[in-house]
Amino acid sequence: MKPIRSAGEKFRFEMDPSEKALLFHVLQLYPLVPADHHRLSKDRYLANCEENQHLLEESLLARRLENRKQVDTLLNEPGRFKECPGGFRAGFTRGELEWLLQVLNDVRVGGWLALGSPDEHPEKKEGMSRQTLSHIMTMDVAGFFEMNFLNAVMGDPHRDDD
Amino acid sequence: MPATATPEVLPDIEQDQQADSRTDLEPGYLVVCWNDPVNLMHYVTHVFQTVFGWSRKKAERHMLEVHHNGKSVLIRESLEKAEFYVHQLQKYTLHATLERDAK
Repeated sequence: MKPIRSAGEKFRFEMDPSEKALLFHVLQLYPLVPADHHRLSKDRYLANCEENQHLLEESLLARRLENRKQVDTLLNEPGRFKECPGGFRAGFTRGELEWLLQVLNDVRVGGWLALGSPDEHPEKKEGMSRQTLSHIMTMDVAGFFEMNFLNAVMGDPHRDDD
Repeated sequence: MPATATPEVLPDIEQDQQADSRTDLEPGYLVVCWNDPVNLMHYVTHVFQTVFGWSRKKAERHMLEVHHNGKSVLIRESLEKAEFYVHQLQKYTLHATLERDAK
């Protein structure tokens, strides 16, 4: 996958057929993080804690439904991925990349949670099951696309904009 | 110059002075981001820039604080605004919470 220099508002990428298939695969997995995963606070004695927790869950659910709708539209949009000699070309607006990043990171975090939230390097553990390998691959694939999209919207990560 | 993400606009919250306690309106709540081994450092920096409208330098400073110290206090706000920011950060699947400021 590589970014293509483009004019206008869209960020354009070229990807080979296997990369497109992997992108579609991880997008179809969304959402993976359990709905009740997030906590508003670690403080159990916070005023209106339960009520505010409920509001958080409603807010996250609304975003999740919206993201899922956008994923479905993207996956089924005719002409979004145009064939080219190297595979496919697709363009995304900044807003689209923003929700794509949320979706991909949900899939990445969801894979990590499914592994039991290991401290680090789950791939170094011995005796991995087929399912464990599948979760690790899901995390890595989602991370691969995240980094490509982040590099596009942020530019060189070592360059300071202050 | 690298592209800087546009901060999400704060909702126009109308305060009900009768209903809200004075404490909730004061900036006595901390938005804290906690370390985890799954969120990419580059991603965390991007989210801080997007949600708070920070410069790359400031966002990276907080991201590194999370990474090295286990957590970073991102902002001190009223309860409503702190909740708003926690919602935004969690929409990006960051491990963020709001805590009362002990000071």
